[in-house]
Amino acid sequence: MSAEQLAFYFFASLTLISALLVVCMQNLVRSIFLFFVTIFSLAAMFVFALADFIAVTEVVVYVGGVLVLMLFAFMLSNKELLSGLQNIAGGFKFTHLAGLLICGGMLFLLVSAISAADVVNLSWIKNGQAISENDNTIHQIGIHTMTRYLLPFEVVSVFLMMALIGAAHLSRRERRS
Amino acid sequence: MNFYLTYVLVATALFAFTALFTLFALYSERKISAFMQDRLGPMEVGKYGSLQAFADIIKMLQKEFIIPSSADKILFTLAPIVIFVSVYLGFAALPWAPGLSPSSLNLGLFYIFAILSMETIGILMAGWGSNNKYALLGAMRSVAQMVSYEIPAGIALISAVMISQTFNMQEVSIKQGILSDESILFLGVWEVSSIGGLLAWNIFQAPHLIIAYIIYFIASLAECNRAPFDIPEAESELVAGFHVEYSGLRFAFVFLAEYSMMFLVGMIGVILFLGGWNTFLPNIGSVKLSTWTTGMGWGIFWVLIKTLLVVAVQIWIRWTLPRLRVDQLMSFCWKVLTPLAFLCMLISGIWRLTMM
Repeated sequence: MSAEQLAFYFFASLTLISALLVVCMQNLVRSIFLFFVTIFSLAAMFVFALADFIAVTEVVVYVGGVLVLMLFAFMLSNKELLSGLQNIAGGFKFTHLAGLLICGGMLFLLVSAISAADVVNLSWIKNGQAISENDNTIHQIGIHTMTRYLLPFEVVSVFLMMALIGAAHLSRRERRS
Repeated sequence: MNFYLTYVLVATALFAFTALFTLFALYSERKISAFMQDRLGPMEVGKYGSLQAFADIIKMLQKEFIIPSSADKILFTLAPIVIFVSVYLGFAALPWAPGLSPSSLNLGLFYIFAILSMETIGILMAGWGSNNKYALLGAMRSVAQMVSYEIPAGIALISAVMISQTFNMQEVSIKQGILSDESILFLGVWEVSSIGGLLAWNIFQAPHLIIAYIIYFIASLAECNRAPFDIPEAESELVAGFHVEYSGLRFAFVFLAEYSMMFLVGMIGVILFLGGWNTFLPNIGSVKLSTWTTGMGWGIFWVLIKTLLVVAVQIWIRWTLPRLRVDQLMSFCWKVLTPLAFLCMLISGIWRLTMM
């Protein structure tokens, strides 16, 4: 087994284990901090797929943005609200059935979709161009966002603008009349 | 297997450098502050107190690890490591001389920016893990400040990247000196590709980058939690902020991270705006000062000198200006720096299209 493969399996197992622990852990703060490990090892998986830009963007967005936001939300919410979330009793209850069904359904959907896709024989994978390790991916991404994917790009920016205006409106001080 | 050995050697060298720099910065900060306040500073250990930093480190290594009994032990122990490693990883993409860069990433600057955002997580870990209200308050303040000041800093950096047209820090440096294969225009009019020196630096290629650099410098002070933006540590209100419970080697790591961060942000600014490893001496006719002073050793020398000067200015500012209030801090960031940074970015785009 080469060093790359070893590193790949290391990060893959780290992603899975930490993601499982994020869900299972009783201590909420620790599970948020573990989410950080999940994100980071996921970014490593993106690096193995030669998608370095996506890996770095994921770290910027999730670590610098989402995770900090989650921590802030956690630290600023009151203790009684969280104690209900933190002390969930173990063991199976009838009320858990719905959750189990949804999870099982999702798993079935994912597995059947992956097996139906037949990834190895897809035409765009067989005949497409491959990128090498030293290619400058951001040039390609930049050119494609400004030409082929311009409309989705603009739609996303308008959407973000709407979110910003909404946030500004919500946090604005009410004028007393 | 040889290249694995090189990786380890490079990483060790960078770590040794951060440690040495911290010792040096510790001593110089004490001496500069003493000079500014008309004191002598450390004088007892060694000649002019020059061994004071080593004495401090030895004292710190001997201290006991104290974990508060109600602290979250795992988070408390891991936090200093996360804080330091996030800063230390940033050094991987910085070029030191022509052809000498630990890792010549195409995404260099973007990578550094992403890695530095990890530090906020480490600080929150420390603040929450200590289970101390001063630590938690300090961490919250620190994170609020770092997250907001990332925006003007990032946009000011982007306006320099728009002039250089690359995220690769090594290429950014090459494009500001005589080694560039593109033509360089001083203030957009005078061809200086073969003259080089000071005239080819980014801030003189496009003069609005001087404003962008000042914005970046101010924002980088806030990201290092240095005065006048040191409300997270505010000794007089919060004791010491997020690292109040740390002692011994763990505190040393927090400290190491703070000083390495100073060097790192200074060096990023130097590379993107002040010519990186390029000399400031221009070629004048047959006196080829710029050609003579470009090379491997010279590159390291120039980048070190420039960055140490920037660090000296950071220290100077710390001991000159009083601390800002929280609301002043936020309104300064959002109402002054961010719009100005956006303006710089706009001018950069126009400059790139029309003048270059």
